[in-house]
Amino acid sequence: MSGATKRRWRDVPLAVAMLGPSLVVLIAFVLYPLGRAVWLGQQRCNVQATKCRSVGWGQYTDVLMSNEFQSAVWVTVKFALITVPVGLALGVGLAVLADKHMRHIGFFRTVFSSTVATSVAVASLMWLFLLQPSVGVLANIGWLNDIFPVIKEPGLLNDKGTALSSVAISSIWANLGFTFIIITAGLQGIPRELQESAFVDGAGGWRRFTNVTLPLLGPTLLFTTVVLTSRAFQAYGEIDLLTNGGPVPQQSTTTVTYLIYGSSSIIKSNEGLKAAVAVLLFVILLGLSALQFRGLGKRVHYGS
Amino acid sequence: MNMRTMKTRKSVAVLGIMAIAVSACGGGGGSIVDSGSTEAPPASDGGSSTEAPSTSAAPLSELPPCDPTALDGADGTVELTFWHGMNGELEKSLVALTDEYNASQTKVKISLENQGGYEQTLDKYLQSGSGSLPDIVQAPEYAVQVMNDTESNVPVGACIEADTYDTSDFQAKALDQYFTEGVQWAMPFNVSDPVLYYNKKVFEAAGLDPEAPPTSLEELRTMSQAIVDSGAAAFGLALDTGADSGGGWFLEQWFAKLGEPFSDNDNGRTAPSTKVLFDSQTGVDLLTELQSLVNDGLAYNVGDNASGQDALLKLADPDKPAAMTIATSAALGTVLSVVAAGTIAGVGVDDIGVGPMPGPGGAPGAIVGGASLWIVDNGDAVKTAASWDFVKFLVSAQTQSTWASATGYVPVRSAALDLDPVKTTYAEDPRFRVAYDQLGEAADTPASVGAILGPQREIRNITAQAIATILQGADVSSTLTASASQANALLADYLANNG
Repeated sequence: MSGATKRRWRDVPLAVAMLGPSLVVLIAFVLYPLGRAVWLGQQRCNVQATKCRSVGWGQYTDVLMSNEFQSAVWVTVKFALITVPVGLALGVGLAVLADKHMRHIGFFRTVFSSTVATSVAVASLMWLFLLQPSVGVLANIGWLNDIFPVIKEPGLLNDKGTALSSVAISSIWANLGFTFIIITAGLQGIPRELQESAFVDGAGGWRRFTNVTLPLLGPTLLFTTVVLTSRAFQAYGEIDLLTNGGPVPQQSTTTVTYLIYGSSSIIKSNEGLKAAVAVLLFVILLGLSALQFRGLGKRVHYGS
Repeated sequence: MNMRTMKTRKSVAVLGIMAIAVSACGGGGGSIVDSGSTEAPPASDGGSSTEAPSTSAAPLSELPPCDPTALDGADGTVELTFWHGMNGELEKSLVALTDEYNASQTKVKISLENQGGYEQTLDKYLQSGSGSLPDIVQAPEYAVQVMNDTESNVPVGACIEADTYDTSDFQAKALDQYFTEGVQWAMPFNVSDPVLYYNKKVFEAAGLDPEAPPTSLEELRTMSQAIVDSGAAAFGLALDTGADSGGGWFLEQWFAKLGEPFSDNDNGRTAPSTKVLFDSQTGVDLLTELQSLVNDGLAYNVGDNASGQDALLKLADPDKPAAMTIATSAALGTVLSVVAAGTIAGVGVDDIGVGPMPGPGGAPGAIVGGASLWIVDNGDAVKTAASWDFVKFLVSAQTQSTWASATGYVPVRSAALDLDPVKTTYAEDPRFRVAYDQLGEAADTPASVGAILGPQREIRNITAQAIATILQGADVSSTLTASASQANALLADYLANNG
């Protein structure tokens, strides 16, 4: 054994001591529960999950192949495809608008970020008040109903074609404050000189936005995209309050998360199946985040 | 196995597209609940001999005992925890009653723990280890089988017997909901049932007697026709397909009214149900009638009723209102205060009528909604006795009178009706009494007290899907058959895992 190796071995106790506390936390609260969930996913249990029997890892493929799971994944993907790009675009738009040195701009910044302080429950009830087909605000604007009869019959939340988009709109609204704050912070990190020299070079507003602002916002946009995507995949409160995963029978708003513990889920009392779906959701999200970091990450400019 | 794995990989790539294509096949292959459900548990599993549902009930003597006298020998105050799911005004009333109990004696002290709602209470109860269970828990009407299968309770029947507690004035329907296989498992506490809400102004405008709401589906049709023809309202009835109302609970109600079993083994009351029966001719006839009410423009389907209020709010639609809807009696207080706020133009609080839930052929009766009190077996005779003492307080005639008057639930016993405040409440506003009266109106047989199913909530979701499909025009018979086989798969899976 060479001296260098010996010295390295000598450092082990210290390294363990230093890593220990966080390792314990990691194992107790992340790895162990994760391992248990993966194991539970190949079991069938009684209602208390005290008596479980393994039915084989095929349960994962069975769940993966099931109509309910596939439909839920498809709904979730659609939900993310609506909420992420629209939420991001609105967030960037508002942040750029508010990133001006003007009197009272603080007022607008407060308004734009205010949804951060609104709970999902409150936001959803507000949207319910707007969208309810009999007495809702939108349902009683005559001309609007003439153009879009679906608002009244059967109602935006009750129509299989519009339910998901309607829930998505409430979700976008509720997340807008968060996106706005993160992007505003990103904008403030962009050196003013760059904007100014582009201005001196004769670049117009749009040109400066696309060639200076957006590329330098890259890391912020990537972060926001990843967070919004995982939020979209985990959305629960707005679906529970606005649609209960319906309208039935299509289950147009039953996302994967809602399938796991929504009140209208048909695997409600089946811990094994719930674990299997949860683990599959975890794998999907893991893959998606990796893709986003690798694919988008390459194009992101992190500065020198 | 290999081929199957390969097939899987291919299909994952077209994920989603397939789902829609095959989603119509109901109970056929491909549903999440089918995976593995057909396999019975291996015989070696624990060596338990009760795999198949046994028809012999566990006699009371084999269940955890209850000795009400144990409390007399207790030294000091017995501290108990009660998990409940009551919120808002309901919670305030429960807190007031509990404070009253705690102040009235020194032997027992109850601590209330609000778990957020029925679902959360039940989930938490099921997922807690035996060491962290409360002493008393409030569990909803659809959880009877699930609670039994936890084998964690002292049946209140044991206490009733040991205490020679008189239940003769109790609403038989309310007690029987929590009675299976010869055992009274839990004590009904907060009881509601579905009633008909209707707009008396519309009835007058249509030339109908505002004091004589329809009691049968046949009358419902003729009166709806009169309402629509006269232009008094756009629709006679607002229907919904929510699992907690028109899509699930009401279907069980209609079967019970007719005295038709909803599931086998006497509605799961002599042994756990293994099969649902809602695809019988009774079910087909019933849903054919509901479907044709919608098709004929007499009823309006508001859909899932996700927020629990769409059906009721259809009565307040300024443009195309309905004259009637069916909803839980527990909503009456809220409905009256919403109407008092002027939600329906020109309609005052007194213009809202309440009638019994209409049924096929005018069959009377109802099965109970709401929840019950379960005593948890903590292996401590003193705690069991103390829990029983509190349960007796909560169902005493005076408590039930106060509780019913404050909340709109119906008293579980008739003695409460002779006591204020509910005596005055019912005398001043008979609308609150309708739900109470209709409970006592039907025969007291297993078929008319409603079904007990293991995965009851999930099966209500399945019938909700079927009814939604049917009200949108699907074939009644084949839709019900497909749903029944899906429900049966759920039941088989439940029994295989909880036998």
